[in-house]
Amino acid sequence: MNSFTFTRARTIADALRSARGDVKFLAGGTTLVDLMKLDVERPAGIIDLNALPLAEVRRTPDGGLHIGALARNSDVAHHPDVVRDYPLLSQALLSGASVQLRNMASTGGNLLQRTRCVYFRDAAMACNKRSPGSGCAAIGGFNRNLAILGTSAHCIATNPSDQNVALTALEATVHVTGSNGERSVPIGDFYLLPGQTPERETILEPGDLVTSVTLPPPAPGAGSTYVKLRDRASFEFALASAAVVVTIKGGVMQRARVAMGGIATKPWRNLDVEAALEGQPATRERFADAAQILLSDAKPQSRNGFKVELAKRCLVHALSVATAVT
Amino acid sequence: MNLQVNGKSFAATPAPGECLRVFLRDLGWFGVKKGCDAGDCGACTVWVNEKPVHSCLYPAFRAEGKEITTIEGLAKGGELHPMQRAFLDAQSFQCGYCTAGMIMTAASLSDEQKNDLPRALKGNLCRCTGYGSIRDAFAGVKNVAPDVAGGSRGASVPNPFAEAIVTGRARYTSDIPPMDGLLHLKVLRSPHAHAKILSIDRSEAMAVPGVVEVFTWEDVPRRLYSTAIHEDNRVDPDDTYLLDNVARFVGQRIVAVVADTEGAAEEGCRRLKVEYEILPAVFDPEEAMEPGAPVLHDDDGDSHILHPEKNVFLELHGEVGSVADGFAEADAIYEDTYNAPRQQHVHLETMQSIAWRAEDGRLHVRTSVQGPFIVKGKLCYLFGIMPADLHVFTERVGGGFGGKQDMMSEDLPLLATIKTGRPVKWEFTREEQFTGATTRHPMKTHVKLGAKKDGTLTAMQFRLVSNTGAYGNHGGETLANGMSGPWAIYKCPNKKGDGYAVYTNLQCGGGFRGYGTGQPTFAVESALDELAALLNVDPIEMRRKNMIGPDDKMESVLEGASDLTMGSYGLDQCVDAVEKALASGRGLPKPEGVDWLEGSGVALSMLDCVPPTEQRSGSEVALRPDGGYHFTVGSVEIGNGLVTAQQQVVAQVMGCPSARVTFLNADTDETPYDSGTFASVGMMVPTKAVENASVALREKMLAFAARTTGTKPEECRLDDGAVMCGDQRMPLAELHSAAKREGEELLCFRKAYGSPRTVAFMAYGVRLAVHRVTGEIRILFNVEAVDTGVVMNPNQVRGQVIGGVVQGIGWALQEKMVYNAAGAVVNPTLRNYRIPAFADAPVTEVFFADTYDDIGPLGAKSIAENTINPVAPAIGNALKAATGVRFTTLPFSEDRIFAKLQGFEPA
Ligand SMILES: Cc1cc2nc3c(=O)[nH]c(=O)nc-3n(C[C@H](O)[C@H](O)[C@H](O)COP(=O)(O)OP(=O)(O)OC[C@H]3O[C@@H](n4cnc5c(N)ncnc54)[C@H](O)[C@@H]3O)c2cc1C
Ligand code: SF4
Ligand code: FES
Ligand code: FES
Repeated sequence: MNSFTFTRARTIADALRSARGDVKFLAGGTTLVDLMKLDVERPAGIIDLNALPLAEVRRTPDGGLHIGALARNSDVAHHPDVVRDYPLLSQALLSGASVQLRNMASTGGNLLQRTRCVYFRDAAMACNKRSPGSGCAAIGGFNRNLAILGTSAHCIATNPSDQNVALTALEATVHVTGSNGERSVPIGDFYLLPGQTPERETILEPGDLVTSVTLPPPAPGAGSTYVKLRDRASFEFALASAAVVVTIKGGVMQRARVAMGGIATKPWRNLDVEAALEGQPATRERFADAAQILLSDAKPQSRNGFKVELAKRCLVHALSVATAVT
Repeated sequence: MNLQVNGKSFAATPAPGECLRVFLRDLGWFGVKKGCDAGDCGACTVWVNEKPVHSCLYPAFRAEGKEITTIEGLAKGGELHPMQRAFLDAQSFQCGYCTAGMIMTAASLSDEQKNDLPRALKGNLCRCTGYGSIRDAFAGVKNVAPDVAGGSRGASVPNPFAEAIVTGRARYTSDIPPMDGLLHLKVLRSPHAHAKILSIDRSEAMAVPGVVEVFTWEDVPRRLYSTAIHEDNRVDPDDTYLLDNVARFVGQRIVAVVADTEGAAEEGCRRLKVEYEILPAVFDPEEAMEPGAPVLHDDDGDSHILHPEKNVFLELHGEVGSVADGFAEADAIYEDTYNAPRQQHVHLETMQSIAWRAEDGRLHVRTSVQGPFIVKGKLCYLFGIMPADLHVFTERVGGGFGGKQDMMSEDLPLLATIKTGRPVKWEFTREEQFTGATTRHPMKTHVKLGAKKDGTLTAMQFRLVSNTGAYGNHGGETLANGMSGPWAIYKCPNKKGDGYAVYTNLQCGGGFRGYGTGQPTFAVESALDELAALLNVDPIEMRRKNMIGPDDKMESVLEGASDLTMGSYGLDQCVDAVEKALASGRGLPKPEGVDWLEGSGVALSMLDCVPPTEQRSGSEVALRPDGGYHFTVGSVEIGNGLVTAQQQVVAQVMGCPSARVTFLNADTDETPYDSGTFASVGMMVPTKAVENASVALREKMLAFAARTTGTKPEECRLDDGAVMCGDQRMPLAELHSAAKREGEELLCFRKAYGSPRTVAFMAYGVRLAVHRVTGEIRILFNVEAVDTGVVMNPNQVRGQVIGGVVQGIGWALQEKMVYNAAGAVVNPTLRNYRIPAFADAPVTEVFFADTYDDIGPLGAKSIAENTINPVAPAIGNALKAATGVRFTTLPFSEDRIFAKLQGFEPA
């Protein structure tokens, strides 16, 4: 690890003021410290956010939920309102990482966690995301766990988060403060596709601080679930995951929200998939139709072709569970 | 900054970028361990304000004003925390390296979390226990039996280190205060699979502040040797140099840098400029044997490589009977090729050593290795040191599994100490364990079996190709082993085998639990099921019909006189027990839904308990002045429970409780010579030496007592704490002083040799469910029946069995090392190389056959090694039963499975 300066921010203004130059915010540190040990991140300065009053989880006036950027993943996962009204978020958080990590990891840090592409994490390898222009060792390399949707010729890395898939299906909004004042961004617009600039993963500008995430009120009577497929039962990033929220009336799907993880360069939502479900009877055949649409533009890489089929199966399985169809 | 650690206030400033783990260890809290330094293993778990965190990812400066609790602070007012007590009662550890972190997580869990352990324990890995005894701790199970005089054999007496382990006081290799002037060593590893080093420019590295010295191939003695630890070093090729001017795999050490800090040493490595001439490389052993393939070693006779021009270190061929005739007689023939891949040991303590020159003028090496005496021999040879001037020893070793049966971390620190005069430490990172250490040999087995209608085998033939990697250490011995047990367990008049240990430009294979037998066992045990299916014979009946009986000759394909004998036989009991357990319907029900398919499978295994090469050990047992006993023995305790068993043997012979027996082991200064703790020798050789010395001491004590008291020798016997001479009771302390007065030493030394050798058997059965949509596999029930002679310590043996089974499940289902086209491992982290966590480990039932071995100590024989062998094939057989599809390549990962499954097809 290189050496760096360390500042503890006491107020949000403090944090924004210090956020000049080559510095990084530190929340739980479970992504940042890990990458600094690997020499992937080498900031000149660290601004510790942990003293900021951003850890609150509370109801919003419209019946939704406010989750502070510093709320710990463990606190969110076990929060009674989350467990009752947004069980999918709780499931997603608990499916990821470990007790110890969730005690450290924060909501904002999780939004911004970096890819698990092995080449990104190895400072000796070519990686456009880490060093723009150096190439992408994953294309044609070990890409079993990388994306088949949203890729470009420059990067095929997945967004590895479980939380963010659930937040996408729940249509969360991300609240940001920066030198240009405050902004609220729907999560669907928050992440960028890699395109020519895989080093840019979100719409955040340098020095922008995520302050909170809000969720709209829960959809009444909806069934939901988070299904995560991975190589072992425990402690593992998703090969494919699906977050679904479905409301059924008389056997017909009225409203469907679907987000996928593990297969795309950002938490993946495709409105055509939802449209293909809404108004249709909740049957395996219809689920399979939707899955077909979801994967119709998939671009498998040399070693992850299996994900096309796996993702379909994952979505069908999640929809079956959420709608109790066997 | 100020913080509280275990209730005490500290003011200390962390170095910039220091994580809490390092900071706490620098303050002397050695209970905070390192298994990965990346948030994957949990060995470093501490509490920050009562909440468990991975201290390796926790920036030290964030601890300001916080209350930190480490394992050392968990007990309050001399009272163990209930979770420490539970771990003690259940003996939930083997090497104990993971235990501190595991307890810190466990002790923080709410009742609700304790009901969901698979999830709650996700952040803590244990490689030894298979989580069985850890599960027991939560269930309040007591796995210890009272330690009564004379009742040691067969009793689950506690591990003598148990208290130290659960309180964080157990000391592993790195757990000593930093020595004055300590230097840290780091190596630059080759980025190329095959390259000649043209030049090394060290000037920029030497300019890094803190860097003290740089060592290249030009600075080391140029002597060929093998890293493999064997008593007879001639079984391994001398094909390795300390540092070489040719790199033969990605990850080979090229240059060593020593510096005042680890950071400076790392920076020094980065600043080295090495100019390579890249040579063509070969990764596939079949290609490596082809004419025109790049040649790895041009042996001019010093390395004793069989066919250097073909990259073949060793070939073995043999036939008994005639397989041609055998196949002609057969009603059905099955053949296919099975691929068994690499597996890394992932002992939680990485390889590490500290070397220094002490005031006595001698050199000392504190290390984590399975054979300190052989290491000493190799070091003396390489550096031209007189044996009397070198001391090599271990304290607690955090797991081995065969991974520490090579000299890998001792030589460079010693070199640096000799050159700089300062103490030098080298600790492998987890990544280096994956790139620069050894693994199980990848082997390809082509198997062909023929049988008559009733299932009687008529011919067995195989071709085994083992990839030994860039160097031949263990390549020959594992090959020979793989050509023996897996084929000798079945009687068949016609057997033929061809085996090749082949060099490639990949990292080396090494010793690993099973030692070359697991890979062919996967092939032959799968093939046997296929053949049974062709003949419509029940797979268990098929085995019963063909497996060797107590009076049968054990015969593989390699003829010649052998000292292998059957000291005991319990294979029949093992097969019966597994069949019965599977039929009982115990275990979890199949998950609901039509997508889940269910199937069962079994497999058998036989293992030689001691290698065919030379193996010896010695032990000294003494009566202590206080009437207890003390023994010394050179074997290493790597978490295999060996010292507990040795204590029990002394106690049993002497008729006292185990706790009366103290010991010292694995120290070239203080203990008798020992060839090393590997190849299932622990019970058979060193423990046999302990038994021999104990028996001799008992006779000596009785003879002395008879003389002193004037009683007839046959009227004297040992009783707990005393000698009974007729009706006269003489406390042992008194006996000791009487002997001392007369100048008689109540101390005996005996040796033991690994000959003749006996065999151990086992059978494994599993019932599992496969999800035909996702390919997910769930183990519903599994049982391993083992024939290990007299079970010296049932709890420890159960632990070894479950640990081996779960390691086998890892190999079968989820562990996979992936290489890129350039021959580099791309997943050298625990996050991407997945060993089983609690959630992956099923509840395993264990059955002990009732046998008494004529060769082993007090009727016992080896156990830990072949527990792993039958697991993968039995799972493969169960998968076949469930899905109708045979999988011939490990691991059986989801994508491979569902890709082959018919049935439900979305869209
Ligand atoms: C071993 C391991 C296993 C894991 N397994 C999983 C898993 O299965 N599923 C999963 O989803 N995740 C997993 N994770 C990832 C984990 O969830 C993330 O590391 C964590 O959520 C990041 O949160 P943090 O608070 O620690 O972030 P930090 O490391 O502190 O920060 C991450 C990034 O976000 C920036 N940042 C943090 N907070 C803010 C803010 N408020 N405003 C602006 N920028 C900010 C930082 O500058 C940094 O670049 C795993 C991590 C590890 C180490
Ligand atoms: S996929 Fe993206 S992150 Fe991975 S190597 Fe390519 S550019 Fe880097
Ligand atoms: S050392 Fe911290 S989790 Fe492994
Ligand atoms: S006892 Fe758990 S790793 Fe050894």
